[in-house]
Amino acid sequence: MMGNMAPGMGRPGVILLREGTDTSQGKPQLISNINACAAVADAVKSTLGPRGMDKLVFDGRKVTISNDGATIMKLLEIAHPAAKTLVDISMSQDAEVGDGTTSVVLLASSMLKEIKPFIEEGVHPQVVIRAMRVATKMAVQRVKDLQVPFEGEKGREMLLKCAGTALNSKLISRHQDLFAPMVVDAVSGLKDDLSDLNLIGVKKVPGGEVRQSFLVRGVAFKKTFSYAGFEQMTKKFSNPKILLLNVELELKSEKENAEVRITDPDQYQSIVDAEWNVIYEKLDKCIESGANIVLSKLPIGDLATQYFADKGLFCAGRVEVGDIVRVAKATGGQVQTSTNGLSAEILGKCGAFEEKQVGDERFNLFTECPSEHTATIVLRGGSEQFIEESHRSIHDAIMVVKRSLKSRAVVAGGGAIEMEVSKYLRSESMKIEGKGQLIMQAFAKALEIVPRQLADNAGFDATDILNALRKKHFHEEGGTWFGVDIDTGSICDTFKSNVWEPSINKINSLSAAGEAACVILSIDETVRNPKSEQPGAGGGGGGPPGGGRGGGGGGMSGMMGNAMDIANNGQRSGRLGKGVKYMKGRGGG
Amino acid sequence: MSMVFDEYGRPFIILKEQQAKARVKGLEAQKSNILAAKAISSILRTSLGPKGMDKMLVDADGDVAITNDGATILERMEVQHQVAKLLVELSQSQDNEIGDGTTGVVVLAGALLSQAEKLLDRGIHPVRIAEGYEAACEVAVKTLADIGDVIEFTKEDTSPLISTAETTLNSKIINVNRSKMAKIAVDAVLSVADLDRKDVNFDMIKMEGKPGGRLEDTELVSGIVLDKEMSHSQMSKEITDVKCCLLTCPFEPPKPKTKHKLDIDSKEAYEKLYKHEQEYFTKMIQQVKDSGANLVICQWGFDDEANHLLLQNKLPAIRWVGGVELELIAIATGARIIPRFSELSEEKLGTAGKVREITFGTTEEKMVIIEDCKNSNAVTCIVRGGNKMIVEEAKRSLHDAMCVVRNLIKDNRVVYGGGSAEIACSLSVSAHADTVMGTDQYAIRAFADALDDIPLALAENCGLSPIEELANVKSKQLESKNPFLGVDCTQAGTNDMKKQGVFETLIGKQQQLLLATQVVKMVLKIDDVITMGNYQ
Repeated sequence: MMGNMAPGMGRPGVILLREGTDTSQGKPQLISNINACAAVADAVKSTLGPRGMDKLVFDGRKVTISNDGATIMKLLEIAHPAAKTLVDISMSQDAEVGDGTTSVVLLASSMLKEIKPFIEEGVHPQVVIRAMRVATKMAVQRVKDLQVPFEGEKGREMLLKCAGTALNSKLISRHQDLFAPMVVDAVSGLKDDLSDLNLIGVKKVPGGEVRQSFLVRGVAFKKTFSYAGFEQMTKKFSNPKILLLNVELELKSEKENAEVRITDPDQYQSIVDAEWNVIYEKLDKCIESGANIVLSKLPIGDLATQYFADKGLFCAGRVEVGDIVRVAKATGGQVQTSTNGLSAEILGKCGAFEEKQVGDERFNLFTECPSEHTATIVLRGGSEQFIEESHRSIHDAIMVVKRSLKSRAVVAGGGAIEMEVSKYLRSESMKIEGKGQLIMQAFAKALEIVPRQLADNAGFDATDILNALRKKHFHEEGGTWFGVDIDTGSICDTFKSNVWEPSINKINSLSAAGEAACVILSIDETVRNPKSEQPGAGGGGGGPPGGGRGGGGGGMSGMMGNAMDIANNGQRSGRLGKGVKYMKGRGGG
Repeated sequence: MSMVFDEYGRPFIILKEQQAKARVKGLEAQKSNILAAKAISSILRTSLGPKGMDKMLVDADGDVAITNDGATILERMEVQHQVAKLLVELSQSQDNEIGDGTTGVVVLAGALLSQAEKLLDRGIHPVRIAEGYEAACEVAVKTLADIGDVIEFTKEDTSPLISTAETTLNSKIINVNRSKMAKIAVDAVLSVADLDRKDVNFDMIKMEGKPGGRLEDTELVSGIVLDKEMSHSQMSKEITDVKCCLLTCPFEPPKPKTKHKLDIDSKEAYEKLYKHEQEYFTKMIQQVKDSGANLVICQWGFDDEANHLLLQNKLPAIRWVGGVELELIAIATGARIIPRFSELSEEKLGTAGKVREITFGTTEEKMVIIEDCKNSNAVTCIVRGGNKMIVEEAKRSLHDAMCVVRNLIKDNRVVYGGGSAEIACSLSVSAHADTVMGTDQYAIRAFADALDDIPLALAENCGLSPIEELANVKSKQLESKNPFLGVDCTQAGTNDMKKQGVFETLIGKQQQLLLATQVVKMVLKIDDVITMGNYQ
């Protein structure tokens, strides 16, 4: 069971840790961590690329159908401590670049897989790590050297292509022509700092057809909960002034815990009137400010609704915070927390306001805003799942466009950049002495996983394509941007066929994957407190050392089952299968 | 889920609650998803077309619904399977957007998936199939636009609208009365439609169902029907030249919202209080009277005291009218909603030509109808029928018909029904397939085959020999280049749907194809299903 426990029957082991504590250390620990990462990468690898597939994850409450690496990794609820590192890099890629969340996991696990034989043969992990660091650095530098910078006037075209590439692998890939310009327009509408992505609202309206999705240059939000009298309001304004409030406009007690004592029945009416006066005063102040539209984060009651309707204003209560903020940014208004001291400066302005029917829902649209910092994308689609996935895809595309606007340089996708970096590292490795040479070569080989998986997912012979790519990159002039051609099952210049990715995406994923691989390689012991183990989880794995033998037995039979499983599963997990068998040989002997 | 093992053959956990998770991968996942989706579509298949059958659905409370409306069937079935749920949403989205063709869209999706299954068996990559479908769908949608016809109608000549509505009602249980029902639907929609803006506000059409009477008694009331009665049985049942006030305050002494306490320390004070209360009532009534109102509609209730006073002052009143209805009345009568009595004034009153209370048969049930309103575009359909189920189904059918009419107003292009449009698309798609290189060709051809499934199902449901009928019509279409030939479901003696006057809106049909293709792509793209518990 435990690595450091002698198998002999006579000698009792020295117990250092609390009973039930699970420790494993040394090389076996390293190998098992690598295997765990391989298993995780195995789960997401089929989502890569334009022919990538989706995963349906049902967690007992909610269904998610997605092709986004980060989303899947999150939903898998990975418990293995080492494998969690992969979830982390996927998340960080998502936060940093927004796209390439699958390929970063693939790269990391592929690196580990290539390193595994060295570890098994006894190369010290630190040596490996040092060489890996060098290789990562060189790879990143190579990407920087190769990247093609943006030229000013061609900027938009570049952005369109980047957005298109990001959408390629998604469910809505067929509608790139619609979404790519939409995303680019939305992002370019932002101010130069691009810092706040919250300014791009994405609204989902189930129903309708995906091509009915549209972009609003301005703010759009769903009709809020309304009271009687709402329909009598004016629903269309041109050049309206907008008052944004964080005030409740309702007839209610002003103070929560106040109690009025009335001694004379004659005073009764005056108390009632006083309350009415408070609310009317507030309403009048709103109207006096000159606003045509009143929006509030808090409820606007029926009385206020009817009063505003009478005076020809429009109001909406319970508007979501994000929407209010967007309206404020777009129209230049300021959110007020009191109705006192309203002045003309704090009112927002926009060119047009309208309440419009979209599918089953009604939307409030604010357009022609003076400072065009905001945009809203309204997504339509046949089912909730479809819209959810569209949303994720759009998010990815927005992030990519944003990053490319910032970094202003692109590389070719479709595995081309990986092949080129791989070639570079291979030739550079020859200049290095010692073990580093081998490690760098392994690193170079690991990069080939991207084109390999792309071809695999499309159902092509990955080895053939890989060989063709290697030949092209090593021996032919102008082969720099050759990658996998998904349509014909051969290779092509992906730069020419408009598969462009922001270079920051690749730089980030290379360095993140390299880092993660190093972290995992540097772990040589895990100590797990028994309580952190889930009850009943894992056949014999979590058992106390005393039951080790029995547990081990259970493990063995489980393993046999697994080996069979792998054999039946065929090619895809074949590699892992071999690894397991190999280990079994060593462990048993 | 499968396990991973370390050097010593110990299994270790990668995922949380790994044992409880089930995973289906690869082709197996696609097959099981397709199976589930096909099961759903085969349930709906028999409901397609004019001779389609109904389904009886009994829910947990024993409530029975009988319908052949696809969206309703699927909604009531409470489907559990995750992929099958996609089809339910598909049908609902067609329902929300178009309102008709909810069955057809699911049948088409099912047909596309069963075609895809065959291609998967041949080893074609699922995403390639989906892409082929998308390409084919584009062709089909274009074909629809090409063969589409334009229906001209005006407010005076509504016959084309009526015949469209009739086509929709054909497949429904109320098809005996379809001409009347169609007229009701068209009249209702036209009265609220804004023909210049091509907009129809459905909120203005209300549908009230009352079991009892005959289906023929269904009527359209221009005005608003309230499922309420006069607050006192002796109040007058019919008022003309109505001036109504809409109140959102109750007929009782006003209460401050702040917590309050009234200290009564003497008999005099108590009497004063009592007097005040009485005064409030009389004052309120007086204020109403002074404003000139002759009908009181109140959002809240009022106690017997007030009721009695209202009766004495000959002020008919309706109480407990919901906010939404109050709003409708306000819009129709041009009234302003009044939050307290002191704000009552003449200009805030609404006007209507006539308000009457009607009773149904021998039952106690009563309704108040407000007619001839000032800005009357609100209308109400009172649906009658032998039993609750029929009434409910009639309401759904009428709704479908109204949706179709609305769509025509929005966009007056149509395609012909009876499967003719599908056959025409199928022909053009398979012609397109021959021009495409590579594996996509198979997927495109499969799409054409799937389109044939609609006329097949139509013919099958009519008791015709499906294959024979389809082959006939298809060859006729090819021969005569007439895209209006379809399956003669009603045995009218001609295959020309234009002559039969069977048509559907173009946008509805296009949406069907697009939505079905989208969902099919979604299903095909899933190659890995990870669930808690068992995945059935």
